[in-house]
Amino acid sequence: MVLAKPVVETADLKKTYILGKVPVNALRGVNLKVEKGDFLAILGPSGSGKSTLLNMIGALDKPTEGKVFIDGVDVSTLNDNQLADLRRNIGFVFQFFNLIPRLTARGNVELTLSIADLGKNARRKRAEELLETVGLKERMKHKPAELSGGERQRVAIARALANNPRFLLMDEPTGNIDSKTAKEIMGLVKRLNKDEGVTIIVITHDQQLATQAKRIVKMLDGSIIKEIDQL
Amino acid sequence: MKVGDVFSYAFGAIRLRKLRAGLTTLGVVIGIAAIVALLAISQGLQVTITDQLKSGFATDTLIVSPGSGGGIFSGMGGGIGGASSDFSLVVTDTQIINEIEDVVTSAAIIQEIGYIKSGDRTVTAYVVGVDFAVYSEIYGSTFVAESGEIVPNPDNDTVVVGKRVSDRWENGTLVCNVDDAVEIIWTNTTVRPPRNETYTVTVVAVLKEIGGLSLTGPSDFAVYIPLGQAQSLFGTDECDRIIVKLANEDSSTIEAVSEAIEDAFSGQVSVTSSTAILNTISSIFSTIELFLAGIAAISLLVAGVGIMNIMIVSLMERTREIGILKALGMKSRTVLAIFISEAVIVGLMGAIFGIGLGWVLANVAARVFTGGGFAAATGQRATSGGFVINPVLTPTVMLGAFGFGIAVSIIFAIYPAWRASKLKPVDALRYE
Repeated sequence: MVLAKPVVETADLKKTYILGKVPVNALRGVNLKVEKGDFLAILGPSGSGKSTLLNMIGALDKPTEGKVFIDGVDVSTLNDNQLADLRRNIGFVFQFFNLIPRLTARGNVELTLSIADLGKNARRKRAEELLETVGLKERMKHKPAELSGGERQRVAIARALANNPRFLLMDEPTGNIDSKTAKEIMGLVKRLNKDEGVTIIVITHDQQLATQAKRIVKMLDGSIIKEIDQL
Repeated sequence: MKVGDVFSYAFGAIRLRKLRAGLTTLGVVIGIAAIVALLAISQGLQVTITDQLKSGFATDTLIVSPGSGGGIFSGMGGGIGGASSDFSLVVTDTQIINEIEDVVTSAAIIQEIGYIKSGDRTVTAYVVGVDFAVYSEIYGSTFVAESGEIVPNPDNDTVVVGKRVSDRWENGTLVCNVDDAVEIIWTNTTVRPPRNETYTVTVVAVLKEIGGLSLTGPSDFAVYIPLGQAQSLFGTDECDRIIVKLANEDSSTIEAVSEAIEDAFSGQVSVTSSTAILNTISSIFSTIELFLAGIAAISLLVAGVGIMNIMIVSLMERTREIGILKALGMKSRTVLAIFISEAVIVGLMGAIFGIGLGWVLANVAARVFTGGGFAAATGQRATSGGFVINPVLTPTVMLGAFGFGIAVSIIFAIYPAWRASKLKPVDALRYE
């Protein structure tokens, strides 16, 4: 039996920013492996380099040194267009939701599908299914401004799931919503992982949230300092 | 992303900022309207002038006037152009011209400015001496009597008058009519001091209305006297011009005869064809139109700068949106296409409304120019010295304005759109 390639793998990943004239080592050689069906929490205080790591894994930024493999593909070998195609297979969920304000909940989900060239009827159907999955069937014609924080994050999750991504990449998904709603959102995320087998990577500074994951990676000063398996 | 989706996304973005988009579009509207209005008016004017000229024209005629290079203007003014030369055309020169191949006939014209006095009414008129028989042969369609009769060999004291000499004010109050006795007054400048000469004639015919400017042919404002009478009256055999009728109006004939005539008079005459005059006028208008369109185009360029300015502002406001789109997997060229599409929509709307507004402006301006003003507004015929300008909007101008409007919008959008497409997703997402 041939082992499936890890969904995400990093090899000695380093990133150095130049702030003014001072070089800042945001990542100092990170080795990480995420298998299919995994639910990983990357935990660390601000400045630990976890957001930088997210940008690398999400193919939003390029490393200074080392490599990122997504589905076995070396990201550094891809050009702009190929990177764009790759990002369609990553479901981003941001702390500040990052929905397009002028589009309705359904419109936001449909936008992702239209970027992937899906036809009008097909994407409407898919968007409605997804919004139903995240429990927003009744609110899909509302614009983000008319939705609560929790609802917005559900829209963002529905959007992230739209193109059947290889994994969900969540950046502080509950950082901007109250604790009760946060619990609900995490319940949804866990369900997606358990029932639908969606691979999930969550980045957070919230210890409580991290304990929901199957696996925790603790980061400090640009390095992984501890890995905890919670299974 | 499909083209339709790109446009609908772009349209949504424009709709979000209606006032801003409206003002940007207004810039394009003004630019296009200026181009369309100016061109429609100048082309209308060209049509009017050409028509006016054509109504007195016969395309199978040449005008021979003394002096080289004086052309039509020497003929018009009674020899202004030829004044610098000692050479002058004389009445008998028609015999030389008549012998040239393809010349059917020719008529010498002696012309003075004078007055017609009938009772207590006096009006100015050109006093033109011509051979009635030859002149009616050349201008068979315009030198035609409306009342009375033009006889080939008239008595010396008979005259044929133009329509406007008889019915000067176009209201039925006639200065003179057939069988009336009138006095012709002209100023004799061959004696010192110059004095007015008067002689009495009988009107035998009134010409039917010719209309137009009558640059070369029969005029509504002329009194025609027999050529022999003009020679003895004005005491000269010199004529102002000779009108030549050709066998046909082919350009080769026109050219060959023109050359032959110039040769016959050793290059001391200038020969102008009616077609050449029309061509000259049309080329003058082309230049004017180009000039006007150029001025109007500047306003469109200003609108283009407006588009660019607004798009750069919009680019900054939408940096985060661009980051989101890229994180969702949108390609750079799609981001470019969205921004270009927004400009295309602005350009398209601007062009459509601009052409409409330009057409309205052209019509309003045409009415003001023709002096009709209120008369036009109340549905009456607007006339001012016989001019009625009807603005012309040719498909070329319309399509040109349309294309130019959209092209300018796109060109000025390229830079902001390119900048938008080059944004790095990680920077764009971090942008506050």
